[in-house]
Amino acid sequence: MVLLKKLYDWIDERVQLENLVHFLGKKYVPIHRHSIWYYFGGVSLFLFIIQVLTGILLLLYYKSGEELAFESIQFIMSKVQFGWLIRSVHSWTANLFILTAMIHMFSVYFEKSYRKPREITWLTGMLMFFLAMGFGFSGYLLPWNELAFFATKVGTDIAGVVPVIGKPIMVFLRGGEEVTGATLSRFFGFHVAVLPGMFTVLLGIHLILVQRQGMSEPLGVEDAHGTPKKTMPFFPNFLLRDLLFWLIVLNLLAILAVFFPWELGKKADAFASAPAGIKPEWYFLFMFQTLKYIPAQLFIIDGEVFGILLFGVGGLLWTLVPFWDRKSSRGEKNRFINYVGLFIIFYMIVLTILGWIA
Amino acid sequence: MDRVRSIRRTAQLIVMLTGWTILAVAGDQCLKCHEGLGDKPSVLFKHDVHYRKGVSCAGCHGGNAGTEDMEQAMDKKAGFKGVPKGDDISKACATCHSNAETMKKYGSSLPVNQWEALQTSVHAKLSVKGTEHIAQCITCHNAHGIVPVRNPQSPVYPLNVIKTCARCHADAAFMRTYNPSLPVDQLDKYRTSVHGTRNLRGDPKTAECASCHGSHDIRSAKDAKSNVYPVNLPAVCAKCHSNADYMKGYPIPTDQFEKFSRSVHGIALLQKHDVAAPACNSCHGNHGAAPPGVESISKVCGTCHALNADLFSSSPHKKAFDDRKLPECETCHGNHEIIAATEKLLGVKEGAVCSRCHSESQNIKGYGVAKTMRELIDSLESSTRTAGMMVDDAEQKGMEISEAKFKLRDARQARLQSRTMVHSFNEQKFRETVEKGLTTAQIVRSEAEAAIQEYSFRRIGLGIATIIITILAISLYLFIKRIERKQQAGS
Amino acid sequence: MIPNDGMKPVNEDKRDFLKWILSGGLLAFVGSVIYPVLAYLKPPPQGDVEVSSVKACKLNEIEKDSGKIIKFGTKPVILIRTADGQLRAFSATCTHLDCTVQFSKDRGLIWCACHNGKYDLSGRNVSGPPPRPLDEFRVVVQGEDILISKKT
Repeated sequence: MVLLKKLYDWIDERVQLENLVHFLGKKYVPIHRHSIWYYFGGVSLFLFIIQVLTGILLLLYYKSGEELAFESIQFIMSKVQFGWLIRSVHSWTANLFILTAMIHMFSVYFEKSYRKPREITWLTGMLMFFLAMGFGFSGYLLPWNELAFFATKVGTDIAGVVPVIGKPIMVFLRGGEEVTGATLSRFFGFHVAVLPGMFTVLLGIHLILVQRQGMSEPLGVEDAHGTPKKTMPFFPNFLLRDLLFWLIVLNLLAILAVFFPWELGKKADAFASAPAGIKPEWYFLFMFQTLKYIPAQLFIIDGEVFGILLFGVGGLLWTLVPFWDRKSSRGEKNRFINYVGLFIIFYMIVLTILGWIA
Repeated sequence: MDRVRSIRRTAQLIVMLTGWTILAVAGDQCLKCHEGLGDKPSVLFKHDVHYRKGVSCAGCHGGNAGTEDMEQAMDKKAGFKGVPKGDDISKACATCHSNAETMKKYGSSLPVNQWEALQTSVHAKLSVKGTEHIAQCITCHNAHGIVPVRNPQSPVYPLNVIKTCARCHADAAFMRTYNPSLPVDQLDKYRTSVHGTRNLRGDPKTAECASCHGSHDIRSAKDAKSNVYPVNLPAVCAKCHSNADYMKGYPIPTDQFEKFSRSVHGIALLQKHDVAAPACNSCHGNHGAAPPGVESISKVCGTCHALNADLFSSSPHKKAFDDRKLPECETCHGNHEIIAATEKLLGVKEGAVCSRCHSESQNIKGYGVAKTMRELIDSLESSTRTAGMMVDDAEQKGMEISEAKFKLRDARQARLQSRTMVHSFNEQKFRETVEKGLTTAQIVRSEAEAAIQEYSFRRIGLGIATIIITILAISLYLFIKRIERKQQAGS
Repeated sequence: MIPNDGMKPVNEDKRDFLKWILSGGLLAFVGSVIYPVLAYLKPPPQGDVEVSSVKACKLNEIEKDSGKIIKFGTKPVILIRTADGQLRAFSATCTHLDCTVQFSKDRGLIWCACHNGKYDLSGRNVSGPPPRPLDEFRVVVQGEDILISKKT
């Protein structure tokens, strides 16, 4: 303890930590019946950190390139000590990260925390969410196994269907006309360099804004003066609670890694036929399934194109909600927002289930 | 005018009636005339079965057999065909011989499918002339002196068939014009066989060309429908050799086909249609058919089982068996009813063949070797099996074990090689082969063990980590509560 | 809560005990995270990923008139280079009883040591017990590398 104090003083003399500490000490977190949702931002952050750390460890043994990618993962799973643990944690965390990010996004949506003055926070969050999907899609290909190969083929095919810009985007993603070793190299580059870089910038902005603006409260919880009724200090209370939650999530990850190790399957073979029932990861499933239900031709528009444009427009509207939800900006309840959100959640769950059992 | 016509008609009628009467009294006029000319066919025809049945020359050649007048008799308008050429010959025979009713009229019980059968055979291919089949009916049966098959004068009487077929098939120059790769030494080989020697001595029951190849529906041995196609051949041999009544008087058993059908070779050939498996002729020869002599059995089996034969020939058993007139491979494995050779054959226990000669009081050295060999191969088998079970277990548990599985192949292969090495009857060589397998199996076992241990290690490790985290979590929670209590107390 | 003289020592003890457990737990936790990471960082004895089952070897690693057994996933494959330089690959599992075949230079063919099965250099079973030819694999030369893949 004395050592820590000495270290703190040494840094403080040079950097003036006092201001920061004072500021942090003033941060408070509102306590109300929706407080539980506050934790999901932190958990998402925690899971992202785990991804970065396990990802760096995997980088030490992973070999990109279609001759060795699959075998290097086999090597990690079987020959490297605790390689199985690092790899399974990384794969499970990817899914849990997207899940908690979704929960975080929807809780923010329903609390209308995106309203003024937190529009930029919402925007950076949404962009990070899309990047997370990109992380998932690019990372999935890296083991170069059968499932991944065909999932990537189907996924990039869908991207290519977008009118006008679709084809160039598809060729850009694939590094060619087809999914080949070139695609693997690109996806590897995206996954470990491009996306992390972009994500870190957005994360920085997002966190700084949260720190500057403090936690948003649900409408109606504030009293006349704009201060919430009950609060707790961020530091140490909320932080320690956060850490407790993170600890439990970590244990959960370990259990998943041991009892439900992530499969590797067969090595990708470009000349083999696609295995029956190929489908993307669960977080893309609802969109994939929707495309299946749209008829092949809708008036003059091709069915698939219609579906993609529909999701595109939907995503755009969702991202821009702070700007068209006037009522929340004024501090009024907005039932419509709730209905839209509930419908979307319901739709996503049902379509995901349908896609799963198909 | 009418009167003249009616007179002429009456006159013709009288002449016809007279003619027929003369015919009835005089008989086959063609024959009578040609006999007088002294031509050979008519001489032969007198002995012909058709003559005896009342068929005249016109029966095949057409024309009018009742008239002495040559012009009338050989009148095209009366149906005279002259000497038929090419396929017309066989067609002429077929006119009656393919017609069941006609045959019945003559009181014959002969089959009526010969022409049909001939057309499916290899002999129905076009001859080098390009206008007719290679063989016609008369090629084998003769033209004018045809007698029934059971008649010793017939060229297709069992004792004569050989010569009939050999007329073409032993003529190298002739056969070259059709199929240069077809051998022409069947007759020579046949004469060295049991069938051939008996046939030469005058036994009509023994097999000759037609017995196996068929008479009219002869197909190439490569044709799946041929009687001598490997899959079909054993049944053809069995036609005689499994018929106890037919084989009465011959000092050989009649259960070979039955036994063969149960054997590994029989199942492979007859059920799985694997034409690489031996049929009767593979071991006995086809034209030179005879059981292999005692000293040559291992050579015959060795045409396929080369390694075993080589090992046996250089082993002490070769001399020991030959001296005692024991039939080499057959002594332990049987001849027709060869079943899959497993470890059960080896050793000194119940069911093992070694104990037939080797016991603790007789041929002791061999007794020891047999016992040891069995023990060694049993240990290899159980070692490999354990290794396989452990690999399966590790795989079930989800551990990565593909390399060990790959090595397991080598252990299994060592077992196969050991079974072959038995035939050296040399304990040292056998031990070496088995040890290679044992070493590999041991490596596989330890790898599988390591994988299973790793599985447990992970779960135990998780348990410990969970305990640590739980303790930490609880104490953290209590710590939080305490801080909050302090804060509340403070405020 | 009113501090009680009598209770104080107990609270102090409790506080120390809790702090003690917390620190101990934290240390144990950190250890249980650091240990696997350090073990992971230590390179395994095998050293590196084994050459892929698809990329067999380099051109200069297989001489003319010779053969090599390559691991293709879980199955063995025999890669042969004929005397006139042609590259061919076949399944090395004998079609008789699954032994692993080998290239026999003096016989000039592919040979199975178990029961003297012989295959010509096109994989056809020509002598001995094997009932079927060997499955053929595709051989593609990419620069210096020989790649083997399944025939479609």
